[in-house]
Amino acid sequence: MIRTEHLTKAFGDVVAVKDLNLDIASGELFAFLGPNGAGKTTTIKLLTGLLKPTSGRALVAGYDIQRQSVEARRLVSYVPDLAFLYDKLEPMEFMTFIGQLYGMEHDAIARTSEELFELFDLREARSKLIETLSHGTRQRLVIAAALLHDPQAIIVDEPMVGLDPRSARVVKNVLKDRSRAGCTVFLSTHTLQVAEELADRIGILNHGRLIAVGTMDELRKASGVGGALEDAFLTLTREEEQEEVETRPA
Amino acid sequence: MSTTKFFRLLIGVYASMARRRLGAVRKRSRLMMAVIGMFVLGYWVCGYLLFRGGFAFLTKFPGLGGLLMDRMMYVFFAFLFLMLIFSNMIIGYSTLFKNPETQWLLTLPVRHVDVFRWKLLETTLLASWAFLFLSAPFLLAYGQVRHVGGWFYLKAFLLFLPFTMIPAAIGSLVILVITRFLHRRMFKWALFGLGSAVVIAAAYFIKPMQVAEVQHAEMISAMNQLLHNSRLVLQPMLPSYWVASSMIAWGEGWGGRGLFFFLVLLSNAFMAVLVSVTASRRIFYEGWTCNHSQGQWHLGWGMLGEEIHVRRGNRFLDRFLGLWPWMHPSTRALMVKDIRVFWRDTSQWSQFVIFFGLLTLYVLNLRNVAYEWNSEMWASFVSFLNLGASSMTLATLTTRFVFPQFSMEGRRLWIVGMVPYGLKRVLMEKFWLSSLWSVTITLGLTIASSFMLRLPAWMAVLFTGTVVWMSFALCGIAVGIGALFPNFGTGSTANRYDNPAKIVSGFGGTFCFVLSMIYISLVIGAEALPVYYGYGTTFEGRPWGLVVAWIFVSLLSLAAIALPMSLALKKMEALEM
Repeated sequence: MIRTEHLTKAFGDVVAVKDLNLDIASGELFAFLGPNGAGKTTTIKLLTGLLKPTSGRALVAGYDIQRQSVEARRLVSYVPDLAFLYDKLEPMEFMTFIGQLYGMEHDAIARTSEELFELFDLREARSKLIETLSHGTRQRLVIAAALLHDPQAIIVDEPMVGLDPRSARVVKNVLKDRSRAGCTVFLSTHTLQVAEELADRIGILNHGRLIAVGTMDELRKASGVGGALEDAFLTLTREEEQEEVETRPA
Repeated sequence: MSTTKFFRLLIGVYASMARRRLGAVRKRSRLMMAVIGMFVLGYWVCGYLLFRGGFAFLTKFPGLGGLLMDRMMYVFFAFLFLMLIFSNMIIGYSTLFKNPETQWLLTLPVRHVDVFRWKLLETTLLASWAFLFLSAPFLLAYGQVRHVGGWFYLKAFLLFLPFTMIPAAIGSLVILVITRFLHRRMFKWALFGLGSAVVIAAAYFIKPMQVAEVQHAEMISAMNQLLHNSRLVLQPMLPSYWVASSMIAWGEGWGGRGLFFFLVLLSNAFMAVLVSVTASRRIFYEGWTCNHSQGQWHLGWGMLGEEIHVRRGNRFLDRFLGLWPWMHPSTRALMVKDIRVFWRDTSQWSQFVIFFGLLTLYVLNLRNVAYEWNSEMWASFVSFLNLGASSMTLATLTTRFVFPQFSMEGRRLWIVGMVPYGLKRVLMEKFWLSSLWSVTITLGLTIASSFMLRLPAWMAVLFTGTVVWMSFALCGIAVGIGALFPNFGTGSTANRYDNPAKIVSGFGGTFCFVLSMIYISLVIGAEALPVYYGYGTTFEGRPWGLVVAWIFVSLLSLAAIALPMSLALKKMEALEM
């Protein structure tokens, strides 16, 4: 469903994403991990077409995001870490707008919105102006809007930031359920616990390079340490740092 | 999704939001709304009376009156055209490449060209409405003096639509090309170079008539000179020529000629938009991604293909401010931060450059206004006009650049608010920093213009002292009102305002500008009265009127500083971040 082929993005001298090859199947929940500045958000921007790769390509549902961008974006939803919302609209108006942008019928918009409001506990907020909503409520609204048109893939950047435990649980459940229902979830996060709990496979990015990819067990094996994902993550990223220092010319 | 459907959806959303914003405005203080309303009405009435007086004066020239009025029309629209191009370029850059909504729309299943079309429309409206607002009294006065019918105003409105489309298309095209093919840092220099070229060209081509000749009663000769010097605006390839020709023709009742120029304007407007949209298909998305790929060098020309290394960690500012040992370290740190943020924000300083360009033009043109000592009335009028122009420019600068300072801290407010001396020091630093650069600019401007106008020493001293007061007072108003009525935007950080132009366009910005104008009117009125009723340009005789005026100006300025600043400082004590 989501595929990258030798995807590379350079910002001047700095190569933010280096020769990234990924193949994420339909219905898979893929967690994308990496330290700050590893290139996670750049990868997401390349997958959503917000940035043009320096070389390589990204495919979503078989469509090249650069060449067939409208077709690809019709099938995918993107939830950024800082989402844009029209502050002077009410949540229901916003949902209607999004649904219409994706070509949904009025009845379908109304029905699905009600379901999503119920699911994300947004019923009380539905008739308030978005500008008056808390960060957590806004975040839930953004995720609800992203799911409205039943996308084949959803790309989420740090969805748990600012969510209370109950909301975080709701979001986690929804992402897992969607994935079980066949929707591919590409989840970028710093929260290792979330990745460990939800992901079918995990990719670890460091300095723009994919240093490890696989299931939890595979990562444990690759890192040579058992236990939590945190240990595997720290070992793998540390090893990569050391390797880099050793190979750096004097 | 079709372009029409996409536009219909967005128009629906924007209409809903506009309705709610209007509703929110109604909840504001009635007194403040009344002050702003009176100011707008006052501008229209005074503008109308001034333009009408000017046109009526021109009609008195036998045989030349109509010609001069028409020439005013051509000059007016030529300037408007130039200003609209700049305005569209500046607003277009923010709207197309720095706007969170644009980023969001680019992730939706709509074509990039449709996003560009929408943003072009938004830019056109944002960049043009103020010019239409400002030109209304001019057109009304023209129509009244020409005794045109009511249809003229409707036709004038119709002409404005294609007229605003052309500079919008040109401005966006220039921005597209610059953003796509030039590095982000080169953008500054490109814009600076373009602005400088316009100023130099304007200074070379625009030659106001020598006022001295008017004084010597050679009116016809002076008017001939005026017509000769302004012939540049009669280039038939200029859109301003088409709109002015059409308006003049319709004013005269020549329907066919008016319609012809309207159609020329309309067809060229469509063509300009078509060219801009066609270019956007190729370079809008490319420009977007270049703009957001910071540090990348995009210029494809071989001779300039080398990477540009921008010197980082420039310590000059720290060293310079370190020369002032009395300055508290936290104040110094805030100043360094504010200056650096300003310099690195293209949307900020590019407008600042345009202001300076206009000021340079203004001062350069003063060399042509020969100060005639034989007419005290004329001398007083010109010198106070100069003071008015300088102070209004300053008020525009303080409203545009100083007022948004507090709001721009936005989500970073807690960082500066948590420093040991808190937000009070932040506010005072903003006041002192803005006052210092305002004094520097206005002192330079006043001394240069006094020299150019060859003002008597006492008048030069009076005006210099006045602008120093004004600099502090206008900064006090801007900083104080900026803190009392901040415009942070709302909600998540993606929606919060980092765009100073957007911050100023809110209620607080308007209120700040209105208060500044009221203050300026009171100061100039107080100083002009004793000069007008007393002794023109000579100081001897009755200096007491001026002394009283000066004391009034000083007290008024102190109040303009103290009142908003003390209220703002009090607010800082209770502010919850």
